[in-house]
Amino acid sequence: MIIKTAKESGLALCPKCHKLNDIKQISGNNARVECSRCRGMFYQRKPCSLQNTLAWNVAALIAFIPANIYPIMIVFSMGIGEPNTILSGISEFIDYGLYPIAVIIFTASIIVPLIKIIGLFLLVYRVHTGVRLRPDKHSKFYHALEFLGPWSMLDVFVVALLIAVVELGFVTSVSAGPAINYFTLTVIFTMIAANSFDPRLLWDKKQGCENAKE
Amino acid sequence: MTKIKNIKSLIACQQCDALYDEPILKQGQSAKCTRCGCTLVERKVDSIERSFYWSLAGIMLSAPAISLPIMGVTLVGQFHHASLLDCILALIDNGFFMIATLVFLFTLAVPIVRLLGAFYITYSFKFKRLKPSLLHFFRAYHHLDNWVMLNVFMLGIVVSMYKLLDDTELSVNMGLLAFILWLICSTMSSSALDQDYIWRELEKEFDN
Repeated sequence: MIIKTAKESGLALCPKCHKLNDIKQISGNNARVECSRCRGMFYQRKPCSLQNTLAWNVAALIAFIPANIYPIMIVFSMGIGEPNTILSGISEFIDYGLYPIAVIIFTASIIVPLIKIIGLFLLVYRVHTGVRLRPDKHSKFYHALEFLGPWSMLDVFVVALLIAVVELGFVTSVSAGPAINYFTLTVIFTMIAANSFDPRLLWDKKQGCENAKE
Repeated sequence: MTKIKNIKSLIACQQCDALYDEPILKQGQSAKCTRCGCTLVERKVDSIERSFYWSLAGIMLSAPAISLPIMGVTLVGQFHHASLLDCILALIDNGFFMIATLVFLFTLAVPIVRLLGAFYITYSFKFKRLKPSLLHFFRAYHHLDNWVMLNVFMLGIVVSMYKLLDDTELSVNMGLLAFILWLICSTMSSSALDQDYIWRELEKEFDN
């Protein structure tokens, strides 16, 4: 079964209200279109999708380095402060024998951001070159990345809760460390990077490669 | 390029741009793309009614969920508890203004705005008070789709409870219950909302 795409037929889908618009009259490649239903402006494909994804991704990668070096929170007990980085917090959980929590935090704050950054680099590379492109698998992978995005905020919320709850004056108190800024930036940047990637480019590229072969 | 007679009877997959004839669906059915497996259109059961009541409940629950203390700790005779709002205030006290702003947005402002938005839209549909401004309103509503993080905050509560459990005495307050209910209401109200139906009705009303 041959599947026609909207782009080939001179149609464009509004990303917000999912209305098909006829753009045959509009000249120019990937020009701004006004949706006939919701009156919003949109593009047939996200403009400069690969460049934007790449740029946000690099920013996320840069912010991820200080996020792991600096302490994410400082635990004061009896006036003595003990700085904790993300990794040392996890090793503390392992020392206490709380493996499920250690796994959850490790996944949410180390594995997920790294997988997102590496995965998006990979997707951008594959779309750009068209080497070994499997749109069906890659688009599923992209959805997984998109879904996982907000879960990396877990560590930030945990720190926010701890500094609010553990406030017992001199005995124990918790304050946040500078890494929390960088870590939040990493999460936000990867979310924006995932948002600016257009999965339809995967299918476009595949179709382009197949047409070139024939 | 073949000629396309009627755009209105066509739909395209949002993820891979494949073109299909619009399927006729009954309530509760959904159509999936044969190429990438994404949902094309979905007709939800009792969309307006369900979303209306879920969002109404969510709006009522938002005040206790935000202001009631979620949990407290006791250590050497001292007791302290904190609510969602206290978390944000504590971040401000620590000087982390950016984090405070983002936590405020993701766990407080965006969920409330989305609940109010869903309530307003379903209210207008329920009582047949459709206005052209709803087009812009519903479009703006979609901008916030990805930025509700109540479920992540819930996991954060669980993790920090584990963290506090081994060296302090932990107590759970009413705020946690209110927060869980609020999370359920907010999730249900947005998942019960049938976007395709709302857009189609709005288009029928204001097609010019």
